Amino acid sequence: MRLAVRLAAHAIVCFSIFALESQGQSQTYEGKQLVKAELLADTNAVVPSKPFTVGLLLRMAPGWHTYWKFPGDAGLPSELKWKLPEGWKIGEIQWPIPLKTTDPGDIQTYGYQDEVLLMQEITPPASINDSTVKLAAEANWLVCEKICIPGNASLQLELPRSVTSVPANAEIFARYRRLLPRDWPGAIVATANWKRARSDLRLNVKSPTLANYPNVDFYPLPQGDTVVGHPQLESRSGNEIVFRVPLESVSKDLSSIQGLVVFAQRADGSERAAWQIPTSGIAPVKSTASIPARGIFTFLLFGFLGGVILNLMPCVLPVISLKIFGFIQHAGQSRQKILRSGVAFAGGIFAWFIGLALFLIALKAAGREITWGGFQFTNPYFVLALSVIVLVFALNLFGVFEISLPQSATRGVLGWTGAQGDVGSFFQGVFATVLATPCTAPFLGTALGFAFTQSPVIILSIFFAIAAGMSAPYLLLCAQPAWLRFLPKPGPWMLHVKQFMGFLLLATLLFLLYVLGAQRGLEGAIWASCFLLFVSIACWMKGSFIVATTSVAKRFVVFVLMLVLLIVSGVYFIGGKFHSTKLASANSQLHGDWQAFTPERLQTELEQGHSVFVDFTAAWCLTCKFNEASVLESAAVREAFQRHGIVKLRADWTNGDPVITKLLQQFGRPGVPLYVLYRGKSEKPIIFPELLTKSIILDKLETISRTVASQ
Amino acid sequence: MKTKLILTIIASLVTTALYAFDPPPVGSAAPDFSLTDPKGETHSPSQYKGKYVVLEWFNPECPFVKKHYGSGNMQRLQKEYTSKGVVWLTIDSNAPGSEGNLSADAASKVMTGWKTRQTALLLDPEGKAGRAYGAKNTPNMVVINPEGKIVYEGAIDSKATPNPADIPNSTNYVKVALDESLEGKPVTTSTTKPYGCSVKYK
Repeated sequence: MRLAVRLAAHAIVCFSIFALESQGQSQTYEGKQLVKAELLADTNAVVPSKPFTVGLLLRMAPGWHTYWKFPGDAGLPSELKWKLPEGWKIGEIQWPIPLKTTDPGDIQTYGYQDEVLLMQEITPPASINDSTVKLAAEANWLVCEKICIPGNASLQLELPRSVTSVPANAEIFARYRRLLPRDWPGAIVATANWKRARSDLRLNVKSPTLANYPNVDFYPLPQGDTVVGHPQLESRSGNEIVFRVPLESVSKDLSSIQGLVVFAQRADGSERAAWQIPTSGIAPVKSTASIPARGIFTFLLFGFLGGVILNLMPCVLPVISLKIFGFIQHAGQSRQKILRSGVAFAGGIFAWFIGLALFLIALKAAGREITWGGFQFTNPYFVLALSVIVLVFALNLFGVFEISLPQSATRGVLGWTGAQGDVGSFFQGVFATVLATPCTAPFLGTALGFAFTQSPVIILSIFFAIAAGMSAPYLLLCAQPAWLRFLPKPGPWMLHVKQFMGFLLLATLLFLLYVLGAQRGLEGAIWASCFLLFVSIACWMKGSFIVATTSVAKRFVVFVLMLVLLIVSGVYFIGGKFHSTKLASANSQLHGDWQAFTPERLQTELEQGHSVFVDFTAAWCLTCKFNEASVLESAAVREAFQRHGIVKLRADWTNGDPVITKLLQQFGRPGVPLYVLYRGKSEKPIIFPELLTKSIILDKLETISRTVASQ
Repeated sequence: MKTKLILTIIASLVTTALYAFDPPPVGSAAPDFSLTDPKGETHSPSQYKGKYVVLEWFNPECPFVKKHYGSGNMQRLQKEYTSKGVVWLTIDSNAPGSEGNLSADAASKVMTGWKTRQTALLLDPEGKAGRAYGAKNTPNMVVINPEGKIVYEGAIDSKATPNPADIPNSTNYVKVALDESLEGKPVTTSTTKPYGCSVKYK
């Protein structure tokens, strides 16, 4: 019966070939026909602008094969060069899933036996003049049995132009479309994770589907100069399979390759299906430390307050009254003129800070282009760099060493401020800020570091807020010079304020070390701290042995010693010890009744009819910690979750787990926090705002249970 | 002297076992072998220590090999570098009874007929040398430096086609590797994907 159907189908195919006047060509070798090549279309006519599919059908003599896009250890992919009229467009070849063959000597090749149809989508232009369209192509292939023979053919396909069309060659196109690899299914069905271990790539595929197929394989599609060895099945258990792909070319930063995960019911691969490995999901996401829309005001407020506090620093405070008195003298007591000078001065401050922000944005943009590895909290080296910055500035505030501007710069700056009037005031504003750098650097440096993870708009806003805060006293006092008497008098207290600020920075450092600990475990945090210790010693050396009067020779010696100290400790502690610490297990964040999130886990719970709440979080995400402590872990919310029988899963993104990254992207989020309630397999998941309140959660849970009850 | 030989043999056995069929990585010691040429003389990489050695896997029936011999490209390379003191060993690892396997007589005929210029054409019907180097293609090229380390392995050039017309427009990786090595520079492209027919192993 089946044979009859197949014969009938074959007859239809042959008939339609004749009908379309397709001209096939044969490759013969020593009197034997090896390959028959012809072009087919899946339509009986060309309709302007309507895309259709063309296919190169290669029929090989028994035992002979042609090759896949990636031929494996030997062979060449078949090629098709189209000569299309003006305005026609042709898509990439859609390669059916190949068969893998292994020959003696462990020679693995990927190709097609008996027959293959290589399909391409073709788009005609909006207007076609001729009543018959001739599409020509040059085909090249290599066909091998024991020996290999290159073959080629000049093929042509003739189709009438029409306003409507009906499908043609339906059976063969349908058969080969079924053999095309499919896109990777959603993370809930299957996940693919790449890991690089020295010169090997490891692909970890998790999916419940795996259990249905006795034969699962990975067919690589290396791009460019990449040379890969044979993928090996490393382990397989239940829903999980691991492939090892040795890399033979020296490509240091390669973290994944393209390829197919191929499933077959039978070992000969006759019933096969494949998923294309997603490569885009593995790329690092751009900005990660997200600020919720409402949270931005908090940041702006802190920026403003920080700017105001800058005025209390020892090298800034004495300047304020001096400046204001200066304005008053120049203006000859005219209120308006004083205010104008004040505004110009503030303008100078703004110019400086916005300049800084733009510099930072430009640096970040440049960094993204040359991919420094992502400035983000999921990258432990970024966190480490930030720790060093914060520590160095804390030590500066404690007075371990001073940040000094070169003398020539100071002198130049003073010379420039000689200009009179509003322009003069503007530049005085700029230079007062520059001269205040030794005192403001610790804060600005830290702010710069954190701002690096943010979007340009947020960077600009934060620096704008700092500038506003810093210039506020000037504006206020210029408007009301009488208030000068409220200004605290400079004195030793300023030093105390400065040193106290140092402790704030140390507190920040503790937070960063906590993040490092969450990423690389206790050991990672300790090795990082060892390096920080040596950084401190280097700072102390600068403070103790380099003063204004130090000779050039001595300066040089001290700098070299500092450099040696930093490099040796950096190589030993960071390059060696810290680098070799393993990723801390994602479960470090689990406590209470929370369970680790995996896509399979979510799938299973949903299949069992449970509602699932997923908390996407990270150790370094302060908003997440705040939400967890104040809302999710509060007695009322815990009780409500329990009462509604909701399963609580926690997805820990501290190390930038790509599976979670992909899910976050599916929800259109650049990072954490994200709170999602899945109510069942078919229902759309509910997304909660980034800043949670108890009432948001409790109200939502109530409404859901009510709708469920009313159904 | 004897211990050194024994050590070399043990080392090569271990290497062979470790890298059963995967090519030994660039920078590692070149596995040793001992094969005879059509005249019955034996050759091995270790006897040419102190010189650059090129290994070329060969199959006279393969269209990719014919591409480089038919155009005279391979002979030119062999002539140029053997005159500079480089040892060029062409190896036929195809099993008896399969396409491309050569008897001693047939090998001599191919050499005179094709006017080849290699140091020696070696017969490897057991596929020992081919497997030791993980050679899967013809042509498959390996360059060994005077210290006995592999400095290049992979394709002969950058255009993976059987068409001789592509030779002028392709980068010959073996030529580049040899030129760089002879000038004392490190090899920039040290691993490529070889292309060609598969070696027909026993």
